[in-house]
Amino acid sequence: MATNYLANAEEAKEYQSRYRWIYGFIIFTFTVFTLRLWFLQILNGAELRQFSEQNSIKETKILAPRGIIYDRNGEILVENLPGFEATISPQYVSDLEKTAEAVGEVLKMPGAKVMTEVKRSRIANGPFRPVRIKENLNHEEIFRLELLKLEYSGLDIKEAVLRSYPLQGNGAQLFGYVSEISKRQLEIITKKTGGKSTFQQGDIIGKSGLEEFMDRILRGKDGISVMQVDARGREATPDNPDLLGMVNGIQDAEPGNNLILTIDKDVQEAAYRAFVDGGRIGGAVAMKTNGEILAWVNAPSFDPNEFSRGIGSTMWSKLVNDPDKPLRNKAIQDHNSPGSTFKPLIAVAALSEKLITPNTLVACPGVIRFGGRPYHDHLKGGHGNLVVTQAIERSSNVFFYKMGIGLGVDKMFKYCDAMGIGRKTGIDMGGEVSGLMPSARWKKDNLGEEWQPGENLSVAIGQGFVLTTPLQMAVAYNVIGTEGLVVRPMLVKKILNSANKIEKEFTPQVLRDLSQPGGDVFVDKKVFQTVKEGLRLVINGERGTARGSRLPFIEIAGKTGTSQVMNFSADQIYSTCEARPKKQRHHGWFIGYAPADKPEIVFGILAEHSCHGSSGAAPVAREIVRSYIAKYHPEWLDRDLRKKPGEVRKLSSPAAALAAPRPAVDTVGERIEGE
Amino acid sequence: MSAMHLEGRTFFKRIDWNYAFAIMALNLIGLINLYSATHGAATSGTNRLFVAQIFWLLGGWVFFFLVTFFDYQIILRLAWVIYGLNLLALVAVMFVGKVALGAQRWLDFGFFSYQPSETMKIALVLVLARVMSQVSYTNGMGIKQLLMPLTIVFVPFLVTAEQPDLGSAMMLLATGGTICLFIGIRRRILVTAAMIVLLTLPVAWKFLLHDYQRDRVLTFISPGRDPRGAGYNSIQSKIAVGSGRIYGKGFRKGTQSQLEFLPERHTDFIYSVLSEEHGFLGSLITIGLFAILFSLGTRIASQARDKAGAILAFGIMGILFWHMFINIGMVIGLLPIVGIPLPLLSYGGSSMLTTMVGLGLVSSVAYRRFLF
Repeated sequence: MATNYLANAEEAKEYQSRYRWIYGFIIFTFTVFTLRLWFLQILNGAELRQFSEQNSIKETKILAPRGIIYDRNGEILVENLPGFEATISPQYVSDLEKTAEAVGEVLKMPGAKVMTEVKRSRIANGPFRPVRIKENLNHEEIFRLELLKLEYSGLDIKEAVLRSYPLQGNGAQLFGYVSEISKRQLEIITKKTGGKSTFQQGDIIGKSGLEEFMDRILRGKDGISVMQVDARGREATPDNPDLLGMVNGIQDAEPGNNLILTIDKDVQEAAYRAFVDGGRIGGAVAMKTNGEILAWVNAPSFDPNEFSRGIGSTMWSKLVNDPDKPLRNKAIQDHNSPGSTFKPLIAVAALSEKLITPNTLVACPGVIRFGGRPYHDHLKGGHGNLVVTQAIERSSNVFFYKMGIGLGVDKMFKYCDAMGIGRKTGIDMGGEVSGLMPSARWKKDNLGEEWQPGENLSVAIGQGFVLTTPLQMAVAYNVIGTEGLVVRPMLVKKILNSANKIEKEFTPQVLRDLSQPGGDVFVDKKVFQTVKEGLRLVINGERGTARGSRLPFIEIAGKTGTSQVMNFSADQIYSTCEARPKKQRHHGWFIGYAPADKPEIVFGILAEHSCHGSSGAAPVAREIVRSYIAKYHPEWLDRDLRKKPGEVRKLSSPAAALAAPRPAVDTVGERIEGE
Repeated sequence: MSAMHLEGRTFFKRIDWNYAFAIMALNLIGLINLYSATHGAATSGTNRLFVAQIFWLLGGWVFFFLVTFFDYQIILRLAWVIYGLNLLALVAVMFVGKVALGAQRWLDFGFFSYQPSETMKIALVLVLARVMSQVSYTNGMGIKQLLMPLTIVFVPFLVTAEQPDLGSAMMLLATGGTICLFIGIRRRILVTAAMIVLLTLPVAWKFLLHDYQRDRVLTFISPGRDPRGAGYNSIQSKIAVGSGRIYGKGFRKGTQSQLEFLPERHTDFIYSVLSEEHGFLGSLITIGLFAILFSLGTRIASQARDKAGAILAFGIMGILFWHMFINIGMVIGLLPIVGIPLPLLSYGGSSMLTTMVGLGLVSSVAYRRFLF
C-alpha cells in the first residue's frame, strides 16, 4: 500500500511546477480587488458616502412630440401645443394622505383617488417615476399648485405636449384622436410583442383614425433623463462624475415622423361646412381621379382636442351612445344599400353585355309584374319609352328592373365586382368594411339558398343584398369618369422625418384598367362614354333628378339615390319621407364627378336620414366642386356653360323629345325605389 | 499497524481543518450578511429566505462530510456515468424545462427545482480529472491530445448556451480551459488559439450574443447609455461599495441596500451589501478569506496522492474561483454585469449545495493526502 502511495506521489509531482503560478494568480487577484476597494472606499469613500446619503434618482420622461400632419399644400391639420400637467413623485412625498387631499382639492378630484393612483404607480413603476395626476392645467390650477409645491414635497408641475387639432370637429374621424393607453390595450400589446413592448402606463397612443393607423410613424421615441438628486429633489453632481461613469444620463426623445396627406384643407372645409350648415348627418369623401383623397368628412362630429385634454366619462359615453355615430368613419366603416346610385354600374354591365345599345328604347311603364308580383316605378304613370341615358337621368326603376332580368345576378356581379363593389378599396386607414356584391354562388355559400330571379330586380336598383360604402361608390364612379381606371384611394402622400426630409413617398396606384382588353373584364370606352352622358344629364339635363345642384361654370355629373332605413307597408310607401320620425327617414346618396367630360375630382356623399339624394347629398357635392374649382381652376369661375349651344347633345335620342314633359321633381321621384 | 487503526486514530487529524474553518468563516459572514440583505425596510413578516438558507447550509455540511469520507477514487470511477446523466438532464431541460426569466434552465421536481447546469460544472471536473490523469504530457498537450477534453467541455457548453444560460456556459468553458492550462498546452497551440479567439470575436459579437448580452457589455463600457437598466445596477453597486468607507455603515444600516437601490441584493449583489455595511475592513476580510480558501485548496491539490486527485481539487477550486472573480469583479465595477452568484455568500439552494459538495470533494482529496 505504501509503495502504491509513493508511486502515485511521483506521478502527481508532475504538476508541482504549476502551483506557484496558481498562488501567484490568487495573490494577483486579491491585490487588484484590494486596490479597487481602496480606490472606491478610501480614496473616494467620503464623496460616495455623501452621495449615497443623498442618493435619489429622479427620472423624467422626455416626451417625444408626435409627428405633425399637413394637408397636401403644407397647411397644418394636426399639431402639438405646450400644456402643463401636475405630477407627484412618490419618493419625495412625506405624507401621502395630506398631499393627496391638498392636491385633490385644487384639482377638484377626490383625494383618495389621487392616493390610489400614486400607490399603484409606486408598485408598478417604482418610486422614482412621477405619477401624472392631471393634464392640461388651467392658469388658476397652476397658480395654486405652485403655492402647494412649497409645502408638499414631491408635487411638481411639468410641461407637457398637448395634441392639437385646429380644425376641431372637421375631419376628427379622419385624423382620429390620442389618449392615454388603456390597461387592456397595454396588456394586449405586451402579449403580442412577447413582453418586449416599450409602452408603459401613461403613454399617449393614437386611438382612432390616422392617429391610430399611423401611430407607429407618428409616435416618436420618448427620451428619459435620469438625474441624481438630493433629498429635496435638486440635482446633485459629484465633483468627479467620471468616477461612476454615469451620473446624469439623458436619452433624448426622438420626435415622430410628419405626414403630408392628400387632403386639401379648403375642400375639406367646404365639405364640412356644407354638412354642418345644412344640419346634415352622414359622411363624404372627395378624391382626385388618381385616387388622392381631397376631403373626408363626417357629421355630426366631435372635438378631438377634448381627448387630448383628457375626456370625461360623461362626454365619452355621450359620444359612444350618440345614435348619429360621431366617432365612426362613415366613408369606409358603414355600408348601406346604394339605391339608385347603383344604376349606372348596371348600365355599364347592360351595354357591355350588348343587352342594349345606346339607342335601344325600353318601355318604362309605372309598374311591371315579375314572378307574379308587381314592381313599381317611382312615377305612378311611368316614363314611357327611354334610352339608357334618359333612364339614368330620370332614375327609372323599370328600365333597370328589365336590365336586371336580362343580365342575371352573375353578369351584374362580374362588372360591379370589377369596379370595386364588395371589395375593400385598400385605403391606408383602419376599419374599412368590404361591403357586399352578391352573386348566386355567394348566396349558396353563405345563406345556403338558391338565387331567386326576383332578386335580380332588387340588385339592379341597388337594393337587396347590395351594400356599399361612400368611398367604394366614389371609386366605382371614378371608373366610369376615367373610362376604365380602377384606382386605390390614398390618404398619405409623404412621410417626412422631423426635419421635414422625405422618408417615404406614396404614388397613386391604378389597380386595373377595364378599357384595356386582356383583363378578366373588358369594357369598351364607348360604353363608359354613354353612361357618362347619362350622369351628365342628371344634373344638367332638362329632367335630371339633381338639377337643383347645377353650377353655371362647370358641368357636374353624378347620380342621386336613396337607401331605405326600414321597410314600409304598401300604404306607407307613398307617405312623405319628411313626415316620418328622423330615424325612419331614408339615407340620401349623391355620387359623381366633375367636370362631366374629363373629370378631375370624384365624390361619394351619404346624407343619412335626409330622405333624398338630390336635396340631402347633392348640395354637398356642389360645394366640394365649387371649392375645388375656386382653388385649382379659378379662371373657370367666370364661365357660363348654360349659354353654350351644347345643351342638347347628340346622344340624347329623339325619344327624349317625344316624351311628354313632366315635372322632374325628385322629391317624388326617389320615393319608392325597391319594393 | 493496520490501515484501519491508522485511519481510526487520525480520523479527525486527516481532515484539513484550516480549509474547513475558512469555509465556515465565509459561511458565518454569509449568514450575517444575508440576514441584513433580507431584512430590508420594505420586507415584512418572517424571513423565509434567511431560514431557508440556514437549512441549505446545514444540508451542505452534511454533504461535505459525507463526500469527505467517501473515497474520491470511487466517485471518479463513476465520472462518466455522472457526466452522462447530467448531460441527459441538460438536454431534458430543453424539452420539459421550466421557463423562468426568459430562459429554460430548471427541471421542476415539485418541492425544488433542479438546475442541471450547476452540477454539470462538477461532473465536468470529474470526467476531466479521470481522463487526463491517465496520460502524461511531458511537453504539454498537442492538438490530438486536446481533442478529447475539448469535446468533453464543448458538448455541455453548447447545450447550456442554447437554453440560453450564457453565464453557466461561460463557467463551463472557463473551468475546462483552466484545467487544460493546468495540465499544460503546447505554446504554439496557445498562441494560435489566442489569435483565433481574437479574430472570431467580432463574429461572435454579431451573431452569437443576444441583444441583452450585447447591451450589458456596451453598458459596461459606457454606463450612461442605459441609465435605467444594467448601467443603473452597476452605478448603484459602486455607490454602495464606495460609501462603506473604512468601517462601513454598520449592520443593517446600509442605505443603498435597505432602501432598495440595489437590485438582486440577496443574490448577485450580496457583496455590495457587505461592502456598504462593513466597509473596506469587512470587504478585505472577505476577499482575504477567499484567497486563503483558494490557497488552501491549491495546497490540497499539490499534496494529492495522485494526479486525478490533484486535477479534481484544482478543478473544483477553479470553478469557485471564477465565480468569485466574476461576481466581485462585477460588483466593484471591474467587469460587466453578469448574473453569477457569489459562492457561500449569495442566497440560493442549488448554489449552496453544489458548492458544498464540490468543497467536500476537495476535502476528500485532502483526507487521502500524504502526511509528511
